[in-house]
Amino acid sequence: MTAARAPRFVRLVTAVYLAYLAAPIALLFVGSFGNLWLNTLLPSGFTFRWYAEVATDPSFRRAFVSSLTVAALVVVLCVVVGLPLAYAVFRARRPAVRAVARVLYQLPVALPALVLAFGFIRAFSSDALPWLGSVWLLVAGHLVLGLPYFLQAVVADMQRLNLRVLEAAAESLGANGAQRFFQIVLPSLRHSILAGLIVVAALSIGEFQFSNLVAGFLNRTYPVVQLQAFYGATGFACAATVVLLALALAASFAGAASTGGAIRPAQVH
Amino acid sequence: MDAAPAVAVALAGATYVYPGSSAGVRDIDLEIASGEMLVCIGPSGCGKTTLLRLIAGFVKPQAGSIRLGGRDVTGADARSRECGIVFQSYALFPHMTVRDNVGYALRVRGVAGGERAKRAGRMLELVGLSAYADRLPAALSGGQQQRVALARALVFEPRALLLDEPLSALDAATRVAMRDEIRRIQRERAIATLLITHDQDEALSLADRIAVMREGRLVQVDTPQAIYDAPASGFIAGFVGRANVLDATVAGADAVDTPVGRLVTRVHGREAGAKVAVLIRPERVEPVGDRETGDNLLAVAIERDRFFGATRALDARIGASRLAIETSSRAPVRRVRIARDAIQFLDPVPPSKEAT
Repeated sequence: MTAARAPRFVRLVTAVYLAYLAAPIALLFVGSFGNLWLNTLLPSGFTFRWYAEVATDPSFRRAFVSSLTVAALVVVLCVVVGLPLAYAVFRARRPAVRAVARVLYQLPVALPALVLAFGFIRAFSSDALPWLGSVWLLVAGHLVLGLPYFLQAVVADMQRLNLRVLEAAAESLGANGAQRFFQIVLPSLRHSILAGLIVVAALSIGEFQFSNLVAGFLNRTYPVVQLQAFYGATGFACAATVVLLALALAASFAGAASTGGAIRPAQVH
Repeated sequence: MDAAPAVAVALAGATYVYPGSSAGVRDIDLEIASGEMLVCIGPSGCGKTTLLRLIAGFVKPQAGSIRLGGRDVTGADARSRECGIVFQSYALFPHMTVRDNVGYALRVRGVAGGERAKRAGRMLELVGLSAYADRLPAALSGGQQQRVALARALVFEPRALLLDEPLSALDAATRVAMRDEIRRIQRERAIATLLITHDQDEALSLADRIAVMREGRLVQVDTPQAIYDAPASGFIAGFVGRANVLDATVAGADAVDTPVGRLVTRVHGREAGAKVAVLIRPERVEPVGDRETGDNLLAVAIERDRFFGATRALDARIGASRLAIETSSRAPVRRVRIARDAIQFLDPVPPSKEAT
């Protein structure tokens, strides 16, 4: 790059902001390995025992598995429900239908998860639908919260690729409906599908508001159980948080790698 | 090899109007012979892309019939019509290599991998892109993508080749080169071809025949020369080539009165006083020297002078009206001559007069 360097002031602000962003995370790391951390700036002693404790704590182990299970189910359902929905929104002829669909599927973004949770509690604690505490309710809630992000990513990609013309081309070349879907539609959308799913998985793993109210005792997700850690030893709380952080980071790295793959071929000339 | 039917594509009274609008095509009668390049030209929104979509099978006619290679395909879907289509945006599959793109029609037909690669390779050779077989479409230039699209559309030996404004996304230099390339390949494969364009140069230089379309109807179908020399209306004259179309009045057996003055020409039995429209092509308005004498000499004042290298395009003023002039002369233009046979009548001769 030959672009002029940013002015000193801008660089300073950037540095301060990055430090502000990184400091708590760094402190978490330090704390998770510290033996004793009371009223000092930094803890004293080095230990792995907090991680060992998190790993052996039955409620944390269960929550870890719960979170992964819910996230996996949400991701699968997101493909099953979200992909046809994205296609329907994309193919809708009338601009009015498309506009309404867009508002509807973006509504949950504006809607606090708390509102959704109260709605679920109202609906599913009744005698007619006594499903409160089931893992499927968690999955359903996370799906509602995550679907808009998935749809946005996939519909935008459909428009960018001009998918209708690609399908028309495949049809003229003799491809039937199934061939068009599996050989053209799915593979050409693979990057946006993957990127969308990673956002959905990360949302599901980190979601607290909704899960805290709707989860049953045996299927509490990781962030819900993690709240308990803050009432105990500092080192334990730090180690538990680092585990969550690692999960979230793994999701974003996978996302970055997949979107990077999507962008790279277009830049070659 | 089977002898190909002489008429590869035939539309009879084909009509398709988009639901809830008046846009579409109406009552299209059109035949494309085997090996013929038919170029359909018209302003945007005239229905030329709808015509292509009708033949391709993306829309079904509400009336009339469509035959491909002697077979009635009026109700058939696009998949079974076997038309090779080159889309305006090329529509290459972004996740497939060039070779896989070209071989796709063979893949869905169950042609085995080795044979597929061989035939795709032959098509890539035809379009001069053998070296790019393993690249992704995004790594190619516009002209190269265009050629891949062409190879892909031809690999399965389609009944007809349909090209939807194939050159409109290319820069000017590439466009002219691709024009020749398309013509060469089309000739080599001897395939019935419909090319849609709004570019008159493209139409004139590529076509065996040109079909001019306006507001959903075919208004003239003829050879490029006939369309240019004997356009059926002022609209066609203005759309294919540059044109001076003048409102005129027949002023006797051998003259018309026009806004630029009285011009001597044969009126072919038209009655004196009849209102007519006459066409004068800009290149038939001939700059002459001051001492020139004879008929149809006009003094002009040049308003604009555009230099294109080989030619100059001038806007001349004669009284209150304007006349477009095209000339290769570099000299200043003060007087022009319009040859008698350069003045064409655009309205048909009334039938009763024609008989005499």
